[in-house]
Amino acid sequence: MNSIKERRRSYLQFRWKEYGVGYLFMLPWLIGFVLFVAFPIGSSLYNSFNKILITSDGFQYKWVGLENYRQMLVVNNAYPIILISYFQEMIAIIPLILVFSFFVALMLNQKFPGRGLMRAIFFLPVIFATGQVLMELFVQGAGELPFMKEYNINAFVEQFFYGGLATTIINVLSKAVIILWYSGVQILIFIAGFQTIPKSLYEAIRVDGASPWESFWKITFPGMVPFIGLNAIFTIVDLFTFPFNPVMEIVGRNMFEPSTGYGYASAMAWLYFGIILLLLGIVLGITYRATKGNGGIR
Amino acid sequence: MKLAESYRQMRLEVSQFLTSRQTQKAKKLVLGQNVNDGLLAKCIILALLTVIAFLYLKPLIYMVSTSMKSVPDLIDPTVGVIPRTIHIKNYIDGWIGLRYPEAFMNTLIIAFVGSILQVFSCAITGYALARLKFPGKNLFFFLILVTFLVPPQITLVPLYMVYSKLGLLNSPLVFLIPALFGQGMRGALFIIIFRQFFLSQPKALEEAAKMDGASVFRLFFRIMLPLASSACLVVFLFSFIWYWNMYYEPSMFLSKDFIPLSLRLSSFETELMGNWAINYSTAVGKDPISEGPKMAAAFLIIVPPLVVYLIAQRWFTEGIERTGMVD
Repeated sequence: MNSIKERRRSYLQFRWKEYGVGYLFMLPWLIGFVLFVAFPIGSSLYNSFNKILITSDGFQYKWVGLENYRQMLVVNNAYPIILISYFQEMIAIIPLILVFSFFVALMLNQKFPGRGLMRAIFFLPVIFATGQVLMELFVQGAGELPFMKEYNINAFVEQFFYGGLATTIINVLSKAVIILWYSGVQILIFIAGFQTIPKSLYEAIRVDGASPWESFWKITFPGMVPFIGLNAIFTIVDLFTFPFNPVMEIVGRNMFEPSTGYGYASAMAWLYFGIILLLLGIVLGITYRATKGNGGIR
Repeated sequence: MKLAESYRQMRLEVSQFLTSRQTQKAKKLVLGQNVNDGLLAKCIILALLTVIAFLYLKPLIYMVSTSMKSVPDLIDPTVGVIPRTIHIKNYIDGWIGLRYPEAFMNTLIIAFVGSILQVFSCAITGYALARLKFPGKNLFFFLILVTFLVPPQITLVPLYMVYSKLGLLNSPLVFLIPALFGQGMRGALFIIIFRQFFLSQPKALEEAAKMDGASVFRLFFRIMLPLASSACLVVFLFSFIWYWNMYYEPSMFLSKDFIPLSLRLSSFETELMGNWAINYSTAVGKDPISEGPKMAAAFLIIVPPLVVYLIAQRWFTEGIERTGMVD
């Protein structure tokens, strides 16, 4: 003789028991998220609007509004310049990695003897990409492409591009091999991506008389667009801890400097994040538009 | 007249030869039915890849060869990649300079324990996101993506404060505690991998276990986690390698007491610079005297992950495909 109310209550109880288990499984992550992500992000944003003094009885916050940002952008404007030149480099690096890993993955996807060995070789740099080791190799000049010196590419670049752009290109070229070492995971993702395109599509387009060139641009490339987007995002994230990324070191240094302090360092990091967000937005926007045009794979 | 006839004869023969079965077969073998399956195409691909692979590995070859050269070999421009004598002393210097056994153990503790904790916490979270029902799941998933995209530079300053409040600084716990709570090195990526893996498993197994009265915990630890052993292995390997290679985080959070290999390398460098400052006047960093020991030390650091890779190579390169990370 259960009334409807009681039945509903016991049903809800049952439901919440189920939900409870779900939340219990999420609990460790949630604690970690609050402690090591949400709180730091929030407090970093708050810090960036404050002047923080370290006194004998802990930290002293003084609200200064946008003063830190003004200081950074207008008064000592060395940091924005470093940031801009780093982003110029990044904009050169991302397509470089994407094109290279796409090309290599395309070849590794074919059948030929020794494929396993080749795949192993192209993944190898992921194994030993310690920041310090890479820096060391770069300092020794081992990261250059071997034909740079022989053909005097630097002079060539300087002749055809003006000032800042030429420096960026030369910078990127001088560590080209080390940059390409950052494409191991991207190659794997591309190879996995190629498997998602059904073989029958290629057969169909060949029967219709398309050349391999056409079938690449009509089938392979459109099918790979989401993976190119995914890889672009992964590359951006991977470059956060790139050994030539100056931001980490600058932020760390300013953190302990008495004249600037935690607040100023946080503001620096947020400026960096702002530009990263812009970049991510552009990548997502391009990927979205490109996939929508082709009937939306994914 | 005769010439024209013999010419015609020859043409006929040639055309017969070209259309004969054997020739067709040979042509198919060399050029292939499609562009990409003939012998010719294979040779071109292999040659091209070999050249790129050589370019790709050049810094590594340089590293190994420099680490075995003695000072005279390094100065002498006629000595190419292969040193005249194998100079083991560089490795001894590197071993001592890095204080290898101690630093190795420190790095191993972070990489090994951290990876195990990460496999565990990420598997739980990934399973919850894939299979359990609770409100706000999409929000959680979105937040996980956010944690992947936020640069570590943002959280560096406050994290330093949090860690010092919790008393974790300068001990391995500074990496192990976040790993336990699913926020370790690239934890978000691993959670996504586990989620994709559990989503791809058939539901029938779980339903059967539930019918038999297994609780969710029993189901997870007895059935789902063993089932996910391949995903666990992939996550463990990647996590191990990334923990081993990280440099910025330890340089921030481990400044004394507990020093991993990557930090030892930079202090070893400054040591070398100090010792030989009088002797070299060439460009900074490119002095032949400290080059050998430095490269030997760098090589000593990458040996352990290299060994891991050689053993588990198959799982690395196939892992991403098998776990269906890209879907």
